[in-house]
Amino acid sequence: MTSPKRSDINEPRYDVLWPLSRKAVKATAAASRIPDLNGKTVCELWDVIFRGETIYPLVREYIKARFPRVKFVGYSEFGNFHGAREHQVTATLPDKLRAHGADAAIVGIGA
Amino acid sequence: MGIPTASIIGSAFLKQAEVITKGLGVPLAIGVYPGAPMVDSEEDLKRKVEEVLAPGLLKGLTGDAPLAADSKVEPAPGQVVFSGSFDEVQEHFYRQLWTDGLPIAPPTRERVDAFLACTDRKPEDVIRVVAQEGREASILSIAVNGVMAGCRPEYMPVLIAVIEAMCDPLFRIEDCGSTPGWEPAVIVNGPIVKELDFNYGQGMMRVGRQANSSVGRFVRMFLRNICGFRIPPGAGDKGSIAQSFLVAMAEDEDSAREIGWPTFAEDRGFAAGENVVTVHSVVSITSPMYSAGARAIEHVQQWAEIIGGSFTYWAHTGFKTGLWSPLIVAGPSIAGVIAREWSKDEVRRYLYEHIKVTAERATHYARMTSTPTFSLENLVKDGILPPEYAASSDPQRLLNVIIKPEMVGILIAGDPGRNQSRAYMSNHVQGPPTSRRVELPRSWARLPKPRAATPSA
Repeated sequence: MTSPKRSDINEPRYDVLWPLSRKAVKATAAASRIPDLNGKTVCELWDVIFRGETIYPLVREYIKARFPRVKFVGYSEFGNFHGAREHQVTATLPDKLRAHGADAAIVGIGA
Repeated sequence: MGIPTASIIGSAFLKQAEVITKGLGVPLAIGVYPGAPMVDSEEDLKRKVEEVLAPGLLKGLTGDAPLAADSKVEPAPGQVVFSGSFDEVQEHFYRQLWTDGLPIAPPTRERVDAFLACTDRKPEDVIRVVAQEGREASILSIAVNGVMAGCRPEYMPVLIAVIEAMCDPLFRIEDCGSTPGWEPAVIVNGPIVKELDFNYGQGMMRVGRQANSSVGRFVRMFLRNICGFRIPPGAGDKGSIAQSFLVAMAEDEDSAREIGWPTFAEDRGFAAGENVVTVHSVVSITSPMYSAGARAIEHVQQWAEIIGGSFTYWAHTGFKTGLWSPLIVAGPSIAGVIAREWSKDEVRRYLYEHIKVTAERATHYARMTSTPTFSLENLVKDGILPPEYAASSDPQRLLNVIIKPEMVGILIAGDPGRNQSRAYMSNHVQGPPTSRRVELPRSWARLPKPRAATPSA
């Protein structure tokens, strides 16, 4: 990129337009958290990459050690929301989460 | 649904998560995995999960709700945001992360209006709201970024068709910043190739012809400014090594007609003589494929060997998703030899049948990349791969690298005086070939067209 130079009085000046476009984003507030997970159902959503088959059981174990009566619904119940059928699988998630009585969800893995 | 979630994000992806969070308008609670999980030992992974990731996820579900990111007030579309000399404009746009690092043509009102005069669509028309920043892919935004990329106003119908194709949900524009670092290639067919002076002959993929170069540069400019795919010091583009923009391709339709093969666009269902653009992800390119001989088999056999050698490794990503698309740019002289004996479909069938990989190697490649649980049997069971991919449990069984013959695209272009072709590999379901008809404005016949550059004596 060129260095800025002092403008020559005869040099043309350019009025330039904003190169981005309007954001069409509707803000959504985060749902309330659940201080006590005992008796609650946590669903796991996994995109079947980056060692989730090892990571999710460790996370499960960690949370259960602190909330022994938490219930987990494993990722295999929800399908792979990445890749071949991500649009179709993603569209089914709300119904599946409701059917499993989800109180919360863990989603991964972005890496 | 109103339930709390917590997301698992690698520490190197936090900036991208921030961009996506703003684009979705949904605040995310995040548990961070430090580093790259694919290179950690079992012990390190367990330690990182127990000490960092799991506590973060638990806090995300039980602690305070995450707050929405501050949304700053932005200019209105079409608003003048800076006034200055040429150099001052360059510096300002570079500092704002609005350029690709090369000088841009200043997008003045006059220049942008000249682009808008080359379409019957209104500047405020929106093709789609696109990831990752949730911005509108508007006609005005196409014009502004077309100016900046060095396009001519009369390229505007092509630019609109390119963005329409990239906005097709099948193309998955939201994945343009994935770590393989693929790049969309634009392929142009129809009379507009000559009208706009696209190079389809010798050096067709080299920077140097304005139409090819600037349309290719426009694609990357649009992905940067409207989609928000920026490399550091920006965020959102996670191409690990990635590649730079590809100049647009165009087909040598005269050669196709001469040898009696349908054009690339006709293969995709369009009529001869229609102006069409196709966008096609490119994640890998073969070396130049030289082949010799007066018989079809001599050339196609050579293609099979070179394409197999170059693309077999990454084909496991196609196995995971049931789709990947090789595109062959066939040199006109070679296509002429093949066409004397074989149809395009016979070429496709040969490549499908003769490029092979063992089940053991495909599984190994998938497990090395991202998927320790990769299983051909499960992919067949889920209907993603055809049954023959799990026909036996022998790890040395041979699998077709090309999943279906019809996935092979063939375009005639390049140097008619040499015996060279090349092949381009798509990134599985990300950026499959996607086409749109180019809609010309009613005033098209009256608009000035570019003249071929001619060196002065």
